[in-house]
Amino acid sequence: MNNYKQFDSSSEHRSEHVKLARWLRYMLSTSPSSTEDATSQSGPLLNTDYHPRFYQQLPDFIMALLQDDPLATVHYAPLLYHLAGCTTCHSAYLELYEAMRYAVKNGDAQPVVNQGTRPLATIPVGTLVSLCQLLINQAEAVLRQGRHDDTDSDALARSLLQLAMRVSTQITQSSMRSRALKDLVRVATIFDGPHSPGEQEPPARSYSPLIGAGSTPRHGKVLRRADTALRSAGKAAEPPAIFLQSHPLEGSITQHEDTLELHLHDLDETLRGHYLTISIPLGSLLEPVRWIGGNPRAIRSAVPVDKDGTLRTPVGQTDLRLDKPDDRSMLEVLFLQLEVRPID
Amino acid sequence: MPFTAHDLRYKAEETYPALYAHLTRHAQRFLQSLKYDAVELDLVVGHVVEQLVRIGLLGCGDKTPLTALDHFSNAQFYAFLNHSIRNKAIDRLRKRRLQVSSTAELEALEGAEGEDDLLNESVESLWGPPFATPEETTLALASQQELRNLLAHCIKELSAAPRQLQAVILELEEFDADDLLHEVIEELKETDSSPAIETSIPHASQHKDHAHKKLRHCLQESSTNLVVMIALRLTKYGVRSTSSDEFFVHIQALAQKDLSEGDVRRGLNELVAEGYLNWIGNEVVQITSAQMKHLKRFYKEE
Repeated sequence: MNNYKQFDSSSEHRSEHVKLARWLRYMLSTSPSSTEDATSQSGPLLNTDYHPRFYQQLPDFIMALLQDDPLATVHYAPLLYHLAGCTTCHSAYLELYEAMRYAVKNGDAQPVVNQGTRPLATIPVGTLVSLCQLLINQAEAVLRQGRHDDTDSDALARSLLQLAMRVSTQITQSSMRSRALKDLVRVATIFDGPHSPGEQEPPARSYSPLIGAGSTPRHGKVLRRADTALRSAGKAAEPPAIFLQSHPLEGSITQHEDTLELHLHDLDETLRGHYLTISIPLGSLLEPVRWIGGNPRAIRSAVPVDKDGTLRTPVGQTDLRLDKPDDRSMLEVLFLQLEVRPID
Repeated sequence: MPFTAHDLRYKAEETYPALYAHLTRHAQRFLQSLKYDAVELDLVVGHVVEQLVRIGLLGCGDKTPLTALDHFSNAQFYAFLNHSIRNKAIDRLRKRRLQVSSTAELEALEGAEGEDDLLNESVESLWGPPFATPEETTLALASQQELRNLLAHCIKELSAAPRQLQAVILELEEFDADDLLHEVIEELKETDSSPAIETSIPHASQHKDHAHKKLRHCLQESSTNLVVMIALRLTKYGVRSTSSDEFFVHIQALAQKDLSEGDVRRGLNELVAEGYLNWIGNEVVQITSAQMKHLKRFYKEE
């Protein structure tokens, strides 16, 4: 093992190599080095210097080294050049090398303990919040890397975001779930262009759900404490609903059999008499809802806003049920952002 | 049934609670006096979970390629997790300025995990991992001919921007890195793209910055590495014809066991685009003696 150290001592041209190595070190690490290349077109990566493309090659590279593969350095030359200039990936390499070396050497003597099975809901809520944030950050990093490398990373990013959404449904405190998902909409739409001509314009209103609010709001009054446990949702006498807020306006999503219906109140006078385009940015991330018109970023209201500023229109059909806590949680995440724009 | 790497990849939601319980139990053991510190515990467990996500294992299904970790036995995978947790816990203990380096405490750690004698590990640790520091890594890059070939290739690519190439040549002179400099200049002379060497150029630092950026990009591209590997194999496996002054090599000879035919074809196409070959997609690559001379001058084997 570790034959790669032969470079240090066995070469007759060591002094020439040392000179070249000095220049390489300078060239590879000048400026923010590897990060600058990755960020120049697409903004900063996760933690500014994390490179999924190289990071994900580390286990195979390390295994090739541990197996004394003579072609390891040649096959992984680009990774090696990267490691010489990127301290984050180099630190990860050292950590992984140490753990993999131990596993290869001693692994078969390691006792394997059955931890049993338990539901996600048994995990401390702070840990679930961290997991959601980690998955969303990772999705952002792979999207940015994909954009930089001109490769398609959408499927991986989408799968990570879907996992974060599903994990978040186990978080029953609204403030904690909001913290867990605070970057979800931004990352899910990070490289999206407008999905309809109207989306180039800023929305007339942007709504977000009042997570945990389970009873009918009283106009102009506090609905319920933000941290109300979701599990209590549905206990109220009135039909379950997801309450939306776009300060100071309110709205809701209700369900009639399979149909989800949007209710908005007190809309601005400029919108009255107009049909609206409803955009649900996360609507296409999961597929439990069949959206009216097929595109959740451009749902046309069935009717215009009435003279009182009220709109009541179907937005889609689903097999999920608002009166089931798990289904409701998923729908709340889907409606994390809802925008409306007038149709001219 | 204990969870596996496969479970973490394909059934993350169901498996995460067991992973969390496992990591927490081990983190508590290794954190010793910090084991009741919830922040430290979260930090250590969170670090290993983050590694699993960044590697492209946890929750990534078939959206990322399988890696060596997926091929570990279950016992090896647990050993990997346990050692990762242990190392991060020790790191945290060190950062909290606790004295964990005494033999007694380290032995206690080792004993707790059922590892071999501490002495064995400490003897090994003297060797350390390869490429343990960025300096060691750059020395390896500078010392191995195949890796220098990649660097020379990327410097030559700068000839499309003569000022940037000039800036790098001046910089190599400053660093007294003569060997590589001569290799590059000789090659450029052959291809008539050698810049007139000047002692200084206006806006040198700007040209240098751009050149560095291009070099970093080129060196870290797998497509560049493929071109250099194929060029090297052409020089190695090309067989001179008995009846003419040409060389021939079959695509399979270039692929060896580690490259696909598609990879070889991509590399050959790049070399055609760069003017090294006239290949038109045949199974047998034909190389003139002038082309072989050109390739050999630039792509050398140790």
